[in-house]
Amino acid sequence: MTEYLIAIRDALPYLLQGALVTIALVLGALLLGLILGVFLAVGQVYGNKAVRAVVGLYVWFFRGVPLLVLLFLFYFGLFTLLGINISAFTAAVIILGLISAAYQSQIFRAGILSLPEGQFKAARALGMSDARAVLFVILPQALRLSIPGWSNEYSIVLKDSAVAYALGVAEVMARAHFVASRTYQHLPLYFTAGVIFLILTYLGTKSLRLLEEKVRIPGYSR
Amino acid sequence: MDRVNDVLRVENLAKKYGQKEVLKDASLSVKHGEIKVLIGPSGAGKSTLLQCINVLVTPDHGRIWLEGREILHTKKKELHEYRQKVGMIFQDFNLFDHLTALGNVEIGLVRVKKMNKQEARERAVAELDRVGLKDHIAKYPAQLSGGQKQRVSIARALAMDPRVMLLDEPTSALDPELISEVLAVIRALGEEGMTMIIATHQIGFASDLASEIIFMEDGVIVEAGPPAKILSQAECARTREFCAKLTSLY
Amino acid sequence: MDELIFIQQDVLPSLMRGLKISLLLIIPSGVCGLAIGVLVGALRVYGNRWVKAVTNVYVVIFRGFPLVVQLFIWYFGLPHIGIYLSPYVAAVVGFALCSGAYHSEYVRGAFHSIKRGQRLAAQAIGFTTFGMITHIIFPQAFRRALPGCGNELIYLIKYSSLAYMITCIELTGEGKVIASETFKYTEIFFIVGFIYLMLTSVASFFLRRLENSLRLPGFDHYGL
Repeated sequence: MTEYLIAIRDALPYLLQGALVTIALVLGALLLGLILGVFLAVGQVYGNKAVRAVVGLYVWFFRGVPLLVLLFLFYFGLFTLLGINISAFTAAVIILGLISAAYQSQIFRAGILSLPEGQFKAARALGMSDARAVLFVILPQALRLSIPGWSNEYSIVLKDSAVAYALGVAEVMARAHFVASRTYQHLPLYFTAGVIFLILTYLGTKSLRLLEEKVRIPGYSR
Repeated sequence: MDRVNDVLRVENLAKKYGQKEVLKDASLSVKHGEIKVLIGPSGAGKSTLLQCINVLVTPDHGRIWLEGREILHTKKKELHEYRQKVGMIFQDFNLFDHLTALGNVEIGLVRVKKMNKQEARERAVAELDRVGLKDHIAKYPAQLSGGQKQRVSIARALAMDPRVMLLDEPTSALDPELISEVLAVIRALGEEGMTMIIATHQIGFASDLASEIIFMEDGVIVEAGPPAKILSQAECARTREFCAKLTSLY
Repeated sequence: MDELIFIQQDVLPSLMRGLKISLLLIIPSGVCGLAIGVLVGALRVYGNRWVKAVTNVYVVIFRGFPLVVQLFIWYFGLPHIGIYLSPYVAAVVGFALCSGAYHSEYVRGAFHSIKRGQRLAAQAIGFTTFGMITHIIFPQAFRRALPGCGNELIYLIKYSSLAYMITCIELTGEGKVIASETFKYTEIFFIVGFIYLMLTSVASFFLRRLENSLRLPGFDHYGL
């Protein structure tokens, strides 16, 4: 048991540096997913048939193909083919972001659809263009409603980020494996890696709950 | 009290939830064919008393006899058999949402009484007809009105051949126009000789049907007596106070 | 033309071999995971204090640790305490226990969503506890848990690709092997991706069919 604890203590700083990489990965992916996801959701709710079809296809593809396959497809395949030279880290952020956008678009879509029709009508009646109506009336409400679902998405992207190890990104999982293959302390090290992810999950969902409280509109209920 | 003829008898029932004594020391008995009505303010313990009687809630102490046999502290199997003989009607109906009206009445017959399906079906249809719902047997609870739901729940309880029926505010959750159809069914049951204990606010109905009215408050039975007496010449001040308010409302 | 022949003769047989392994991973893991999830979910709702504590710890760990970490623990970590699992067995164990934790969340939610009155009415008619759970609670809870558990099974189809990372060569693994030999990553993984896409789409289709066929009037409203 003591040799387990020694192994963990020695590797901890190195692993925690990996945690920073993980956080960067996750935040980058979620941000990309958020921006793209909002566009996709708005397109799916308010767009014409062609737009809806394109969005539908995108969502179907990025939710139906496994993460690992997409990582290989894009990083070793498409990027190389198109001569795009980016780091494994950046590639991972992009791919995780594209996938997250597909899932987030559905969360936001549900949020938008749960708003009563009258909200949009009233905005129009004031003379707002559709774009303004969406930006200033629909989205502020829909995004608040989406926070719980988003919290779930954070937790998923965090865990998925460990797969970036397959591209050689030096996040927590990769570092744990690196140390383990030298010290042969696989069990304690991977367990520690898992605990780090647990802590990151807890911190993230806690922050989101605080955010939800902060932006809550008094008396609002759907 | 004539113990031999009592269908149901409970003595000194008490129930505490945490620190709160919801039921303090309730005793009552009903003879065959008697209809006793419980009245009293919310929180008086009427529901708790009824749920203690069929042990949906286990009383902290007290004794219960059904047709002379003591219940409580017996084996689980006997408790289940006891519950078959005591029918319960809930304020919220509590129909099984995944079954049609027919299914709701049948399931006790098939799964608890172990009847064969054909007989169970015939019996179930008959009971639903008895409460006036022959045309609605294939409907799901979500497709029925409140009054229809309550009548299905009465049919479901009757199918089990209960010796006594407990009705816990059967019309309190119903829209006013739907109350009369349920009261009509209960009245018909009374006329057929079903032994019943009913907790209700429907004082007019109660005074028509009841053999005895029991006034409860704060977990205790304050006073009990024939309807005429309780409603106009009650002995306790509190009883008079409550009944005065009740009769002016209804 | 060469491309197509190459695909037909060299790539497809290997990929089909990999697909077979993938299915051999998905089906047992799915069945076991669902069974574990139903059991744990029921225990979390109806168990006593100790049972609830133990099962809650199980769920926190197996939902909190990334699946990759869990797989590595089973395959690389267990040898430390003398247990040597093959890549396939480690993968199935990992998938089943991980998805079991997720399933139990949906099952637990489903049991909780059954109104208390359903239980009271069942008891009032004289149902035993077992009879009540079997004939009244379960039929309703099953319908409520179906979307969540069904989606979890679809996730499993995708996550089975991670078996590659503990050297269990299934569809993704075969693709990687061929692609690293031929450098035709784009073509190979488009095909691999397409196969997974078909698997998940067909599964989704049947899930929706099942949900629709079990639909009951008025039943979709939680807690009404």
